[in-house]
Amino acid sequence: MGPLRLEARKKMNKTTLVSPPSLARAGKKSLVVAKRSARLDQWLVWLASHLILIFFTIVVVYPVIWMFLASFKSNGEVVSNVWGLPTTLHWENYTSAWQTAQLGYALLNSVIVSVGTVIVVTALAAAAAFAFAKLRFRYATFLFLIFIFTMQAPVPVIPLYVMLVKLGLTNSRLGLILPMVAGGLPLAIFIFRAFFQSLPSELLDAAKVDGCTDFVAFLRIVLPISGPAIATVTILQFVGAWNEYFLALILVRSPEMRTIPLAIQVFFYAWGRTEWQQVFAALSVASLPMIILYMIMQRQFIQGLTAGSVKG
Amino acid sequence: MSTAIPRQVRRRNLTPYLWVLPALLFYIVFKLLPMIVGLYLTLIQWDGIEPPKFVGLQNFQRILTDEVIPLALLNNVKYAVGTVIGKMILALFLALILNQALRGRSIYRTTLFMPVVMSFVVVGILWSWLYNGQFGLLNNLLHKLKLDFLILDWLGDTKVALWSLVVVDIWKWYGFHMVIFLAGLQTISQELYEAARIDGAARWQQFTKITLPLLQPVMLVNVTLSLMGAFNVFDIPYVMTEGGPANSTLVMALHIYISGFKFYKFGYAAALSYVLLTLVTVMAAVQMRFMSRESLS
Repeated sequence: MGPLRLEARKKMNKTTLVSPPSLARAGKKSLVVAKRSARLDQWLVWLASHLILIFFTIVVVYPVIWMFLASFKSNGEVVSNVWGLPTTLHWENYTSAWQTAQLGYALLNSVIVSVGTVIVVTALAAAAAFAFAKLRFRYATFLFLIFIFTMQAPVPVIPLYVMLVKLGLTNSRLGLILPMVAGGLPLAIFIFRAFFQSLPSELLDAAKVDGCTDFVAFLRIVLPISGPAIATVTILQFVGAWNEYFLALILVRSPEMRTIPLAIQVFFYAWGRTEWQQVFAALSVASLPMIILYMIMQRQFIQGLTAGSVKG
Repeated sequence: MSTAIPRQVRRRNLTPYLWVLPALLFYIVFKLLPMIVGLYLTLIQWDGIEPPKFVGLQNFQRILTDEVIPLALLNNVKYAVGTVIGKMILALFLALILNQALRGRSIYRTTLFMPVVMSFVVVGILWSWLYNGQFGLLNNLLHKLKLDFLILDWLGDTKVALWSLVVVDIWKWYGFHMVIFLAGLQTISQELYEAARIDGAARWQQFTKITLPLLQPVMLVNVTLSLMGAFNVFDIPYVMTEGGPANSTLVMALHIYISGFKFYKFGYAAALSYVLLTLVTVMAAVQMRFMSRESLS
């Protein structure tokens, strides 16, 4: 369907593009025709564009809305009333899913782990990036490249696991935070460095003349105007940490330590064949906080999550 | 060499290292160290309980005879081909549409990007239900549209399952690649198109002669990201099919996980994870070389 439409548009274009030179000869009548066909062409492109975009919007949004609606249906209704609204709101889906999947713990753990990761990454990366961008020292480039060159390589999971076992960090929130911090640092440093480099050096020079040390200048002058970079790094790390699943899967043993993705998956494996409506309730609890945050701050989210790929 | 420098200056020159040190230490301990010291694990046979036994390169030898590996690698390749091509075509197509002056542009952009913030686990579970052979939304829809011949057991059929997962991956990520393409498109000067139009270039020609060549750096970023994603993929096949049916969705990362955490062959799994790491790194390096050459020329 796509190629056909393009083909059709191409043909239409040719006719409109060819017509202007012949206009002079043919006079007023065909000018009107040409104008009309150009307008028709524009209108068709406009219509096709909206139809295509609406189609893909539905493909993205409908499953999510359907999940939310199904979370209020009764067990039988999920199967019998596939397309309709729930006849009555079965809130008990939420209460039982909350209890069985222990979503209270899961939410708490996810919040602690994500916020912890964000704070540590931001602090460490901002400091390192400040040095890379504004201070002169001998191995600056070399050290920066250590981060950048190994950035893309994922840590081999088995060695990481064995190390965390030896350190006694399995089944703990700290054991999840530390590797995630390490994983997040390079891109965060990259983003902060680019931002700090864009700051005029007069800013720091003036501070130095006033007798500020680098550290004071960093805290008092640089950080307060680094809002955009901090927002970018925060969103990037927060979404990554909130959705991190593999680390939790290999490191967490007890139900009270599970994060949201792990709790949801365990619940799905256990109840996914019978208690669908509860699974949808659990999925809604798991995904709605992030979706709402995203809707509130969509611009920052899109900017943050694509940062690094757009510039780098 | 350093004797000529006054002592004060030398001491001052050390402080920048203190700024970098915390990040560097973290990075070394929790990323580089496991990468390097972990090499030792590839040389031992160890189930995590009994004392480890040194076996030399036997783990790597065993990789060569492991019948599952060609299968898993082939699945990764298929997954990569499917997701990369699907994401690129769809993302570029939609980015081109969104690059016009359309009302509601930012609403479309925001909605299409939304799956990026959702976790793969949630997406995977949701889609297992859409795909459900008996009650799933997809088969239900096909039945309503009188397209019953298209009704399939999306996750239960060995020929279809992997491609069903590919669709989910595309669904989650195409909005992301679209936004990156869009950013690339917006850097292309409109004057080029105007000049081309005056020369009588049709839209398709404008696309192949101006848009595509100028989009190459952005294209490489997009391809690299989705290619590496495809070779490291774990969440989707683990949650949706656990590698089944009949290993038809078994990918390398899943094979590593199963070897290590289901069969407790830590040495072997470690060796495998280095093989995968090398593979992905080589691919990334080739791409990077490509990219830097592109940006130089």
